[in-house]
Amino acid sequence: MMSRREGETILIGDDIEIVIARIGRTRVKVGIRAPRETPVIAREVKLIRDENLRAAGATAADLSSLIARLHPPA
Amino acid sequence: MTLLETKHFGKLSYEADSELDFPLGLPGFEDRKRFVAVHFVENDPLIYLQSLEDPALCFITMPVLAIDPQYRLNVSGEDLGRLGLNSARQPRVGDDVMCLSVLSISETGPTANLLAPILLNLRNRKALQAVAPGSDYSHQFALMPQEAMPQEAMPQEAMPQEALPQEALPQEAPQEAMPQKAAVC
Repeated sequence: MMSRREGETILIGDDIEIVIARIGRTRVKVGIRAPRETPVIAREVKLIRDENLRAAGATAADLSSLIARLHPPA
Repeated sequence: MTLLETKHFGKLSYEADSELDFPLGLPGFEDRKRFVAVHFVENDPLIYLQSLEDPALCFITMPVLAIDPQYRLNVSGEDLGRLGLNSARQPRVGDDVMCLSVLSISETGPTANLLAPILLNLRNRKALQAVAPGSDYSHQFALMPQEAMPQEAMPQEAMPQEALPQEALPQEAPQEAMPQKAAVC
């Protein structure tokens, strides 16, 4: 844990810099300077991306089993 | 009328004005921006989002309200602006927007992504996957909990690979259940 005020910076290693740009009532604006090859994304975006990749992998057999569950034969 | 190659349903025809425009794509598929929503009465409430740019890309979705009738939207003003909607208030589902949840299927059963619903503005056909930070909704909501599942679902999964003919099984089952004519939303 580390406490920072608005405008202060955190360094991670030699080439990642995190600036607390603005502190609002419920949100914090954070500036991140990182090497081009280091992806910087919000955690929920990664969760959703992984979930979309999983969803897109559904096979025809998956779909049949889903339909069978939604509409069980009478 | 344009013919469309699909992942699960062979060829479908659709009108150019039923195309949906995802200006940002979807997370993980940022360069896939054109889709159509396909609905078969027999498969209700499923709605398929078929990519027009990649026949192999098709998301299986379901209206969020069919999963959780109490679902509350929490869309950012930025996303509302992208959809061409009033950013001062949350849109009404079914009235201002169609709201779909992307389904995934795993060994433990189907799950629905309630954290990031897909919003479609049917007036201008703009669409996006809304990422709501701080939402309590799960990205892997269990659609049909284990105990509610029909028993016959189990032995299928236990079947050895050789017992599943690679070509015949995936092709036949869904197509038999579906008519040739699909409604493109």
